[in-house]
Amino acid sequence: MTSTATPAWLLDSEVGLCPCGCIGTRKKANLVDKTIAGSASLLRRAMFADDTSAQPGLLQRVDPRIKVLSLVGLLVVTSLVHHIPVLLAMYLATLPLAVASRLSLRFFVKRVWLFIPIFTGVIVLPAMFSFITHGHIVVPLGHWFGHRVGLTSQGLRSAGLIVIRVATSISLVVLLTLTTPWVELLAALRALRVPRMFVLVTGMAYRYLFHLLDSVTDMYTARKSRMVGRETDVVAGRAFVGASAGAMFGKAHALSEEVYSAMIARGYNGNARTMNRFRLGVQDLVWVTACLAAAVVVLGWDHAIGR
Amino acid sequence: MQSVADPILVVDGVSYSYLDKFPALVDVSLTVRRGEKVALLGANGCGKSTLLKVLDGLVFPDAGSYHAFGTAVTEQHLEDQQFSEGFRSRVGFVFQNSDAQVFSSNVRDEIAFGPLNMAMPLDQVKRRVDDTLEMLDIADIADRAPYQLSGGQKKRVAIASVLVMNPEVLIFDEPTAALDPRTQHWLMELIVELNRAGKTIVLATHDLATLETLADRCAVFSEDHRIIADGTPEDILADRRLLLSVNLIHDDDPMHEHPHMLIP
Repeated sequence: MTSTATPAWLLDSEVGLCPCGCIGTRKKANLVDKTIAGSASLLRRAMFADDTSAQPGLLQRVDPRIKVLSLVGLLVVTSLVHHIPVLLAMYLATLPLAVASRLSLRFFVKRVWLFIPIFTGVIVLPAMFSFITHGHIVVPLGHWFGHRVGLTSQGLRSAGLIVIRVATSISLVVLLTLTTPWVELLAALRALRVPRMFVLVTGMAYRYLFHLLDSVTDMYTARKSRMVGRETDVVAGRAFVGASAGAMFGKAHALSEEVYSAMIARGYNGNARTMNRFRLGVQDLVWVTACLAAAVVVLGWDHAIGR
Repeated sequence: MQSVADPILVVDGVSYSYLDKFPALVDVSLTVRRGEKVALLGANGCGKSTLLKVLDGLVFPDAGSYHAFGTAVTEQHLEDQQFSEGFRSRVGFVFQNSDAQVFSSNVRDEIAFGPLNMAMPLDQVKRRVDDTLEMLDIADIADRAPYQLSGGQKKRVAIASVLVMNPEVLIFDEPTAALDPRTQHWLMELIVELNRAGKTIVLATHDLATLETLADRCAVFSEDHRIIADGTPEDILADRRLLLSVNLIHDDDPMHEHPHMLIP
């Protein structure tokens, strides 16, 4: 009979949590912790948008194909508008649409404005200064090499235009994604003649992102459960992120081979086929008419104000 | 018990190595007859799953031959669409990892994937999908996404996605692994029912407790990737020396008991 010798230290109990309670120094989560936990939770929340798309709201009733087409049309209109008041009106019009689609207004607004400072703010910030956009300085900030430096009205206008345009565009996209189940969105893209392979790969990428996300969270949790003291070694933190990325790459590769085998086993030969068949209704016609009317009004108003 | 009939899957002297240096199968021969329940028994890494993949035409042997329904199954033959459709519709494979098998964006699409690939008319596909959902008691999750399903539900969907094609041969890789006892029992009942309905079953397992229910014949793999015994579950389970030599039981294990023998 073979037996495994148990080392003596394994039979002794370790000094565990001090019985006197929580009197140790508190430690803050480091950047690696925050990044992994934050990105996992954000992605998870973003992807569970299926809950809102199941609500019996206004936009949920519209055919996904019509929604995709009308959204693309409205995005084009947004990019053609050159006046802040018009864009502002367009942005404000998305708010009642969100409410009518049973979306929480706070959630909707937060979701849009959360990304704007990060992605757009950084880009437009320099454009507000006189050394990038010359013009009438409305907020003086001092002198530099004998020149007045400050924020110019032209720069502020350009920055405002970009920010409100981005906000309106994101609002429209968020309206679409929050009111359409992912499955239907993909099927709508397919119905609109987006290449089959693109839709299939996108759908699978979305599906396995969840699976791999779970693996990332598991790896992170497993590491965290074995960490006792405060982690001060930044290099070790980076090494963990690097190693995790490598491990995930390997896992994703193995999984992709297995998925492909499972597809082949059920007769897949490169042609993706789906069951989705959409039917248009009165509400779709009403929605298309409303979008067209809005586009005409917006472009007409923008034209009337003049450049 | 099913009547023993003509051989439908015949593996003869098959060898296979991963990356040409890690042997997975060494000179393996196996014949599966119509209506049989055959279990491939062996320790982890002995080659069971690889043989199942050979049987499903997913990997092709380096040496030896494999015939299904009287025709050689080769990479070249499977490139022929008619042969490929015929073979794929007659042999269904339920993978061990349901996550790999459930890849569509919702359950209904997942189940419809096989029949649609077989170019079945849409109304027939819909009818079959509905029937299969009903049969496996998963109609309530038909429109759910895979990430919203539990492990047991994913397994049901994976089985439904294969059953809907009505294959003659059903291949299961470790069917009861990582399932809760209730789902395990349900699955064992289902396999027995399917076999009674005339389906040929080939499965890989190292779970001795389920053997007598799930198989009426066992092929035992040694750890050097060969089949070293072929017999009834009773004979195999009674051969303690054999089970010890292939690392399926431990010296300290009591003689095997059969807690799952609940299915009539």
